[in-house]
Amino acid sequence: MHPADEILVARYVEAADQTAFRTLLERHQERVFGYLRGMVRDRDVANDLFQETFLRVIRALNEERGSYTRQDKFLAWVLRIARNAALDHLRARKKWQDIAPEDDGDESVWWDRLPDDAPSALDIIRGKDDVDLLRACIDRLSPEQREVVLLRHESDLTFREIADLTGCSINTALGRMRYALINLRRMMEDVRQSEFLPVTN
Amino acid sequence: MTYGKKEILLQLYGEAADTEKLRSLLRDEELRQEHAVLSETKFRLDLLEKERPDTAIVDAIVAAAASNGGTPHAKRLDRPARARSPRRRTVLISALSIAAVVLVGTGIGLDWFGGSSGLSASQQSPAMASHEDDLVPPESLHQLVPTQQLRSLASRTDPRLAWDDASPILDMHRRIQTMRPASPLDWGEAAVPLESLPGSGPGRLQMTGSSRQ
Repeated sequence: MHPADEILVARYVEAADQTAFRTLLERHQERVFGYLRGMVRDRDVANDLFQETFLRVIRALNEERGSYTRQDKFLAWVLRIARNAALDHLRARKKWQDIAPEDDGDESVWWDRLPDDAPSALDIIRGKDDVDLLRACIDRLSPEQREVVLLRHESDLTFREIADLTGCSINTALGRMRYALINLRRMMEDVRQSEFLPVTN
Repeated sequence: MTYGKKEILLQLYGEAADTEKLRSLLRDEELRQEHAVLSETKFRLDLLEKERPDTAIVDAIVAAAASNGGTPHAKRLDRPARARSPRRRTVLISALSIAAVVLVGTGIGLDWFGGSSGLSASQQSPAMASHEDDLVPPESLHQLVPTQQLRSLASRTDPRLAWDDASPILDMHRRIQTMRPASPLDWGEAAVPLESLPGSGPGRLQMTGSSRQ
């Protein structure tokens, strides 16, 4: 019998049940970590952000009890915190590169300015197997498409929940997902074809 | 995105309201190709293994939860270095300078005015006692001279004030007395001729008109 998230949250908040909290954490760790790992493309940074996310969760549950309203789905609420942590990290990198973060209202403009440190085509070709190749191709997606893929495949959110979390319409979320799938297939085909092409200087 | 393509996607991810609709959609060639492309990539994505955070991180989070929000293992970001404000240093130096000037000025003033008040030998500092004969009783300065008690206190409390009894200062004091008449100087009266001052003589002081000839 697996108690629902809300029951575990209640046990932790009201009875300081540490086992309940650990159960919650282990139940959702892959969903949250997978999202963060895909967003920042660095395992160590993802570990830091994962810890920061759940420290914020603990603080919110203990000190700011209104932050989690119990009607919210626990995972969606945690992912909102994780997303903010990831965006803060990415904004900090962006600031370091002297790009003004004033365009928060227009997220597409902000995303376009992010430095592109995705693996190059050569790095993709050097991928040993299809799994590495697929992950490398996901890293090369545009930020909006990558985020939708991560939230759907790593975090198991519905398209409605993805739309709510990212602040777009469900049609926009579906469109991003469709283009992500098409682009991933195209990139993988291009890489496979380039493996058979002669190398020219 | 057309309705058919959107519906294909929802069907693929199990979010379509009507699951029977997929069959009718796939009768369309374009939608069938769309479905093939999308499902192949989705299948690959579904096979990706999910990653987990480091075990130490999970343990640290659980420990933090046990301490009810405390963050014993939380990584603290280094606070950026703060440069010393140059304004503080400037203000400090200025304040110390002003204080030093005030102290020195007070010391000079106390001994300057107290040197001619005719203290007894026991109340005078040793340096002052050696110049007792040179002291000019400044009757007109009685109004300005501090009280005898103040002067004796100054000489007793701070022997360093005795250096103000040097002869050049006493000479200057004498000159001032010579220049000053018994009554306060009126601006309308003739000034004391410079030649009458001690230390002046031919070649040392000249009329201003002679220098231009």
